[in-house]
Amino acid sequence: MNRRVLIALLVALTGRLLAADDPRAIVAEVQKRSRADSQQYEGVLKVVDAAGKTSEKGWQYERLGSHGDSKLVIRFTRPAEVKGVALLVVNHPDRLSDQWMWTPALNRERRVAAQDRGSRFFGTDFSFEDLDERDLEQYEYRLTGEMACDGEPCWQITATPRAGKRSQYTKSVYSIRKSNYTYAQVENHNDAGLVRRVRYSQMTNVQGIWTARTLDVEDVRRKSRTTLSLQSVTYNVPLAADQFTVEALRRGF
Amino acid sequence: MMLRLLSWPYVRKHALRTALTLVAVVIGVAVFVAMRSANAAVLATFEDTINRLAGATELQVSAGELGFGEDVLERVQSLDEVRVAAPVIEAVVGTGLPSQGNLLILGVDMTGDRSLREYDLAKGEEPLVDDPLLFLAQPDSIMVSDGFAQKNRLSLGSAVPLQTMEGPKTFTVRGILGSGGLSSAFGGNLAIMDVYAAQHVFGRGRTFSRIDLAVAKGAEIARVQQQLQEMLGPGFEVEPPAARGQSFQSLLRIYRFMLVFLSAFALLVGMFIIYNAFAISVAQRRGEIGLLRALGATRGQVWRLFVGESLIVGLIGSVLGIVLGQMGAGAMAASAASLVQGIYGVGGLNVTTALSPGVVGLALAVGVLTSGFAAAVPASSAARVDPVEALQKGRGQALEVRRIGRVAIIGAVLAVAGAALITRTDTRPPFFLGFAGVFVGTLLCAPLASLALTRGLRPLLCRIRPIEGALAFDSLIAASRRTSVTVLALMLSIALAIAIAGVAAGSYAGISGWVDTALNPDLFVTTSPTLTERNYRFPDSMTRELEAVPGIDEVLRLRNARIRMGNNPILLIALETEKTARRSPRQAVSGDLDEMFRVTAQGKGVIASENFASLRRVTLGDRIDIPSPGGVLSLPLVGVIREYSDQQGALFIDRAVFTKEWHDDGVDLFRVYVRRGVSPAKVKADILAAFSGNRRIFVLENADVRRYVSDLTDQYFTMTWAQLAVAVVVAMLGIVNSLTVSVTDRRRELGILRAVGGTRSQVRWSVWMEAIGVGLVSVVLGLVVGAIQLYCLLDLTSRDFPGLRFDYLYPYGVALAIIPTILVTAVLGALAPGESAVRSPLVEALEYE
Repeated sequence: MNRRVLIALLVALTGRLLAADDPRAIVAEVQKRSRADSQQYEGVLKVVDAAGKTSEKGWQYERLGSHGDSKLVIRFTRPAEVKGVALLVVNHPDRLSDQWMWTPALNRERRVAAQDRGSRFFGTDFSFEDLDERDLEQYEYRLTGEMACDGEPCWQITATPRAGKRSQYTKSVYSIRKSNYTYAQVENHNDAGLVRRVRYSQMTNVQGIWTARTLDVEDVRRKSRTTLSLQSVTYNVPLAADQFTVEALRRGF
Repeated sequence: MMLRLLSWPYVRKHALRTALTLVAVVIGVAVFVAMRSANAAVLATFEDTINRLAGATELQVSAGELGFGEDVLERVQSLDEVRVAAPVIEAVVGTGLPSQGNLLILGVDMTGDRSLREYDLAKGEEPLVDDPLLFLAQPDSIMVSDGFAQKNRLSLGSAVPLQTMEGPKTFTVRGILGSGGLSSAFGGNLAIMDVYAAQHVFGRGRTFSRIDLAVAKGAEIARVQQQLQEMLGPGFEVEPPAARGQSFQSLLRIYRFMLVFLSAFALLVGMFIIYNAFAISVAQRRGEIGLLRALGATRGQVWRLFVGESLIVGLIGSVLGIVLGQMGAGAMAASAASLVQGIYGVGGLNVTTALSPGVVGLALAVGVLTSGFAAAVPASSAARVDPVEALQKGRGQALEVRRIGRVAIIGAVLAVAGAALITRTDTRPPFFLGFAGVFVGTLLCAPLASLALTRGLRPLLCRIRPIEGALAFDSLIAASRRTSVTVLALMLSIALAIAIAGVAAGSYAGISGWVDTALNPDLFVTTSPTLTERNYRFPDSMTRELEAVPGIDEVLRLRNARIRMGNNPILLIALETEKTARRSPRQAVSGDLDEMFRVTAQGKGVIASENFASLRRVTLGDRIDIPSPGGVLSLPLVGVIREYSDQQGALFIDRAVFTKEWHDDGVDLFRVYVRRGVSPAKVKADILAAFSGNRRIFVLENADVRRYVSDLTDQYFTMTWAQLAVAVVVAMLGIVNSLTVSVTDRRRELGILRAVGGTRSQVRWSVWMEAIGVGLVSVVLGLVVGAIQLYCLLDLTSRDFPGLRFDYLYPYGVALAIIPTILVTAVLGALAPGESAVRSPLVEALEYE
């Protein structure tokens, strides 16, 4: 057994011992294990509405920084009619993110108001809020059970926003794989019950980070489904900070 | 019992007169009901439309027609008590679809607006648009209502031509609103567009028309309203959506005023006819009343008998009037709805008039009380009848002549006191009191004047027809009360015609003079075919392009918009003051013209229109606080000029001040002066050739604008002519009524005339001469009283709403036209009674009385 494997086992064992009964520690561990200085991928969005009608779009995703204070830019690459439309998200550890949308045909940006974050993200089953990174400190966690996720043992943790945290959701139920501390499923609820279910699958280890290559989002009430496929995922690529500004949005590709 | 035994036989015997009396009540009540129902229906429909457009909006932030910068949205959204705030741009555009007219475009931020508005009631959670990202990415995206789509056979992906700032452009239907909710506003003539695309399409820069917002859970709307108002300052209005209904009411003020006036006038004339009918009835039944009194009937019983009769007539007339009024309400509502179309520019308001219990109750009360009130004086006169005197023929009439004299003295005192009050007061209540004094005083003097004139005209008309003239005028003089009441009703109608025609003549003359000076450019370059529509704006950069067109001498930029000052919208006009002073000198009402333009050009003063100064009672030197986005712009009033561009008043500031304070350098109108010797038509063609491909542009020649202003003035007076027609019809009924009674009264006299060899022609002429006599006296008095009323009306319009001062111009042309019209109508009204007199059996006529 070489030295690196031994250390990894030790870390895993220590983490498991620490996290075993502490839901907050489990979520913290999930975030810690997915931490990277930056991330880049090409996404394919496939939306299937309640009537079975399908539409597909492509985007390019770039993120600088990690949980808490990251910035990300999503630029749509296809179809041609939406090419160049971009969204800039600047996350803050203590408050809601700032979001701007850029529409090249109008040659102008617009701010997405905090109050609008509950609305659907451009016809997909994500909401604008779902693009925000969830800060650990803004939620309270309860371990509500253990279960099997596609045959793998998982923890079930319920996160509720702390007072003062502005969210469309009243609670989220995480299913976290014990084997690699990755999300298997997240169910988001509001006052009326379950709103969205996100399933994370096709787990691949990319540069040491377990990454879901497919996200399935289901809008339970609308009965529509969005699948996001991640391609060409890379971490810790050099990205310039000035690429994550409104001015950069205006400059385009 | 008395009503059944005494009144019913009399009514049956004089069925025609009763019917005519009834008609007077019916017309008055019908106009009242139609007006009320139509007004209520249009307001309700308008409010419903506002509610549909507003959705769940609890408050709206606006800044008049000028809009405001995008930063205001973030300030509003930053307030914790605001749950959702969404920007809106409202604009009316021509569609270019065959016979489709205009569409109301609502530019909204689709990322958050669904929290406020119901876009798709029918389809619930179905996707609103085919592809929301595509909708936002492409500025040519629009969403149309289901009804509009069906009407024009549109589906997703269909092309819709719309007028934009850059000329006609094709838009793509990328969403269809389900029926109900927002979609049904303006009959479905509504489309949704991305608010940022709308800014671009309508040349609005980075501004919004308004912000619609809903307050956070638990927050109190009134408190949030106050917080926002304090945060944004006086340049903004923060109000519930219903407040737009109130400003709509304010825009309909003149319309409602005219309807109220028309209804009141119809009832007033109707009151004279009822009075006339009952006065005649009392006169004819003097003997009957004497007998009743001799048999022990009390004065109260006699009074109640006549008032009871009038109340029954009032009740029946009111019921019939309600039915007739409701039938006419639809047409009146359609006319009022067209005003909404004029205000909004979009049709499709589906106004349905329903009769409310309140209107029915009020109409019954108005009809019955008017009738009862009109009959109260004749009833009192009946109650005072002395049984002995009643049996002495002619005695009663002698008493009446004396009474007419006493009434005239009271009238003269009232009129003089009223006139004194009018000339010596500046405040409204004494002025209206004085106005009422003159009006009532004139009415009270009219019977004596009528009698004097009848006596004066007797010899004149006796020369034309000695026997018939003498008989007719003796009859008129003998029945002085009947004559005077008929004359009074007709006189009022003629006086009203003269007053209205005089106001119209003054208005046309005043406006024409204003047009000569204020609207003197050779060409007007605008964004819409009318000068009042302000949906689009030109960029300031267009000025240079325009100046480069060959043949143009000078271009003046003008920006105007309604802003709210207090509760009223006023027109703010930003002009290039120095150039305007040089190019179109105006008529100064107070202040030195050169000085006021010089100070205003320096940004140190404001000029007001005459009606602004009059309505707000401001004088030179007073500070005018103009709400602006940055706070209050306080400038001294440096001049008042004659200006008719807005009913609520206008303020003029320099363009540089406006650009600085409102951060807005847009242009609504370019006033273009062409070089000497150059044809404006040629320059117009060159401007259109230079811009029409890439810009929404209309070029009006001076004559076009003059015609437009003249048409607007005509439109304003159309209603008053209709009002006049009603008044004349009601007054003519009075003549027919009066002559019918006269023929009945003179039955024996006319019988004797025929018995001693008088021809049928002489009998006819005798009746016709009586009608001519009534007509002539009414015309003379009407023309004189009209002159007085015209003075009062002009004074009223200058002191009160709309505060416009017009020159006193007596409408001689109308007066000349009135004379033959009334005389011919009087003779026409006498035809039937004349024939009745001729055809009555001779023996029966001699046996009468």
